Amino acid sequence: MTGDITLLGYGVSAIGPAIAIGLIFAAYINGVARQPEAQGKLQPIAILGFALAEALAIFGLVLFFIAFFVG
Amino acid sequence: MEHTTIASGVLKAAAESEPMGAGVDAVPIYPYIPELIFGTIVFALFWWFVAKKIVPSLEKAYAERTAAIEGGMQAAEQAQAEAAEAKKQYEDQLGEARAEAARIREHAKEQGAQIVAEMREQAQAEANRITETAHKQIEAERQQAMVQLRGEVGTISTALASKIVGESLEDEARQRGIVDRFLAELESGEVRPEKLGAGSEQGS
Amino acid sequence: MSATMAAVGLVLPMAEGEHFPPTPGSFWQPLFAIPGTDYAFTRPMLLIAISAVVLAVWLWLTTRHAAVVPGRGQWYTEQVYNFARNGIARDMIGSKDFMRFVPFLFALFVFILLNNLFGVIPGFQNPTMARIGFPIGLTLIVYVMYHWVGLRKAGSVGAYLGGLLPSGLPGWIKPMIMFLELITFFITRPLTLALRLFGNMFAGHMLLVVFIVGGWYLFRTWDPALMAVAIPAWVLGAALTAFEALVQFLQAYVFALLAASYLGGALADEH
Repeated sequence: MTGDITLLGYGVSAIGPAIAIGLIFAAYINGVARQPEAQGKLQPIAILGFALAEALAIFGLVLFFIAFFVG
Repeated sequence: MEHTTIASGVLKAAAESEPMGAGVDAVPIYPYIPELIFGTIVFALFWWFVAKKIVPSLEKAYAERTAAIEGGMQAAEQAQAEAAEAKKQYEDQLGEARAEAARIREHAKEQGAQIVAEMREQAQAEANRITETAHKQIEAERQQAMVQLRGEVGTISTALASKIVGESLEDEARQRGIVDRFLAELESGEVRPEKLGAGSEQGS
Repeated sequence: MSATMAAVGLVLPMAEGEHFPPTPGSFWQPLFAIPGTDYAFTRPMLLIAISAVVLAVWLWLTTRHAAVVPGRGQWYTEQVYNFARNGIARDMIGSKDFMRFVPFLFALFVFILLNNLFGVIPGFQNPTMARIGFPIGLTLIVYVMYHWVGLRKAGSVGAYLGGLLPSGLPGWIKPMIMFLELITFFITRPLTLALRLFGNMFAGHMLLVVFIVGGWYLFRTWDPALMAVAIPAWVLGAALTAFEALVQFLQAYVFALLAASYLGGALADEH
């Protein structure tokens, strides 16, 4: 088997943000299901949380690029 | 793959002869400088265009829309006020008409009462007049009857007297004088009719 | 890459000439050399110019005679404009001084949106923002802008940096929090803003290429078993294309939302 360990590293690093994003949207769906009129207020907050959690995955991708191409 | 630190890798890439981010083998996270500059300029131009042309015209349309809606609301308010005023006017008129009707009714009642009173008065007067006339007529008839009676009584009593006393009383003047004198005595109360009546009854 | 292949790549970026599996090098698509320099004019540069022209013409045509009662085109433009104006700018900055930033945020949103959608629009099929130079350029503008706005609001550099600290902290923890805040404000925020957009477009497009071009490679083996596998690959590719369209919209929204949030944070009275 050939390949690069950095690829595996990125795959592992994506687990955390994936769970985080899942939790954020689960909470968002719960909130909207309970109070549909609060959707307008919750949506930007959910998207912001999603963006912040996603940033970690993006960091992982960037580090992967650096390690894979440069290192 | 040989292991180097990230920092040394970056330095190594920067030291390469090809411009940053160019070529098939370039690291994807290194910007290609012409793209960076060109993209920034294109966006800045687009931003300038949006800020100068698009947003002002859209905001103008929004402001006009708001004004139109507010104007519509104002017009509606005005119409409502007008309607309220018309209603008030109508109610005032209705009230006036009611008052007028009441006044007319009152007036009519008064007038009616007056008319009744007048009629009553008139009727009274008429009645009085008729009564008076009747009285007068009766009086006149009575007078006439009395005159007639007087003549007849005179004739009868003369005839009776002539029968009783047997004395011819042909002399008209004397006869009349006696009868008149008798009647005058009768009227003045010197001779009692009962006595006369009794006398005549006795006499017949 | 030869000039002929570049010309083909202008229309069909992922044509037969591409090798499989795709590499990050597939995004390097130079068209011609800029005269007098070592640099090349690339296909994404052409696409970004096209996007700006298309958007400018569309916006100008629909709002040229902006009326109180909107026509069809104006109505669509207004929907997008309302989304950026009320959903992004007003919600994040507050109704006091959001109007100053509406042109910027609206331009940012539609600009990124169209450039992202180029990734799924046939004939373009290359998200411009998958070249990191463009997100960095946009991020630089946002970065300079929110620091400038914050500085203007605070009055001096010292007051601005002091304003980064949340109030009511015990003394001993202040240096640590200050350090974290400085990293957040000056490094993490711009870095994530640019890299998020780039990473999503880059990875998403790579995914589409893997499924669609990969299906084509399987098909071209003329082996019945592998040809049968190509069909589900394409079906999945079509589904992922729809998913990518959603992600592309979401990323444009997130970029504008975060820019508005940073600006709003710089304008807020306290942290």
